[in-house]
Amino acid sequence: MPIHQPGKVLLKNVPLEFVAKKTGGHGAKPVDVSIPLVPFIDFLITLVVFLLMSFSASGELLAQKANLTMPKATNVVDIEMAPVISVDPIVIALDGRRMADTATLAADPKVERIEALIQDLETLKRNWSILHPQEPFPGQVILQADVATDYRVIKKLMFSAGQAGYANISFAVNRHGEKK
Amino acid sequence: MGGISMGGGHGGKKSVDSEIPLVPFIDLLLCCVMFLLVTAVWNQLARLNANQQQPGQQAPNEPPPEEKIKVILQVQASGFVIASTAGDRIEIPKSGDTYDMEALREKLQERKRLEPNRKDLVVAPEDGVKYSDVVASMDMVMGEGFPDMSLSDGSTL
Repeated sequence: MPIHQPGKVLLKNVPLEFVAKKTGGHGAKPVDVSIPLVPFIDFLITLVVFLLMSFSASGELLAQKANLTMPKATNVVDIEMAPVISVDPIVIALDGRRMADTATLAADPKVERIEALIQDLETLKRNWSILHPQEPFPGQVILQADVATDYRVIKKLMFSAGQAGYANISFAVNRHGEKK
Repeated sequence: MGGISMGGGHGGKKSVDSEIPLVPFIDLLLCCVMFLLVTAVWNQLARLNANQQQPGQQAPNEPPPEEKIKVILQVQASGFVIASTAGDRIEIPKSGDTYDMEALREKLQERKRLEPNRKDLVVAPEDGVKYSDVVASMDMVMGEGFPDMSLSDGSTL
């Protein structure tokens, strides 16, 4: 039996003209390709809606630190611009400048002034008064502390802030759930 | 692309097929995406007010207020204590290693039912209590209808 080149056999037995045209392999495949724009626009609109939900006109007033886990709370208010005292397990800083060591403050039971913190807060208070001569000083400071911080440290910081004229102390927290 | 066929168009008339310009629309959407990506805030940070002025403490230039019974929530290493200057005292011991927040909620609700007009309560944690437990108890007090909550030192009360 002679050997011959095999032809197309798939769907050859279907007696329909359009099937024969499709399976015949005649004619060149078109090279025009259109980019599907409608799904692309759908995707972009979804992205815009998602990003609009996380939009904040005031921007990021307080940054989350890597080595600091903040507690969660429900009955909270929005953050406002104020000096930030951050308390991580190692160091206490005012707007990023080191003020004291957390372990040293936690070890001493006496409530005493943190002089470096008081001086810097007083400087900030003076600067604020120069920049806003007509407005009363709000005396607000935000305390951003790690969940495991001893309350003794917090107490000393609140005392020192009070000594510097900052009586309105707020604790920075992660918003959790719906407010009552 | 996005063409809309309006029908007709036979007999040498001007074609009524109109094309929506999709490319400028995509440009606009991309600009929006870029702007929103830059201004997006991913962490939901907020603040909890820790008022240091206790009820009964007078602000400067104000007449002395009448003597008022203070309600104090002490956060101790062994658990919570709800006490007042009238002399009553309710202890809520820890359940295992954690503070019994549900029991605290019940007791605060009970207190609110007894004194519905009271808005102030002093939270007084002791030294050695974790900051997370202090914030959790302050949050609970605020949530149970004591918005004029203040924070004090447990050892001075």
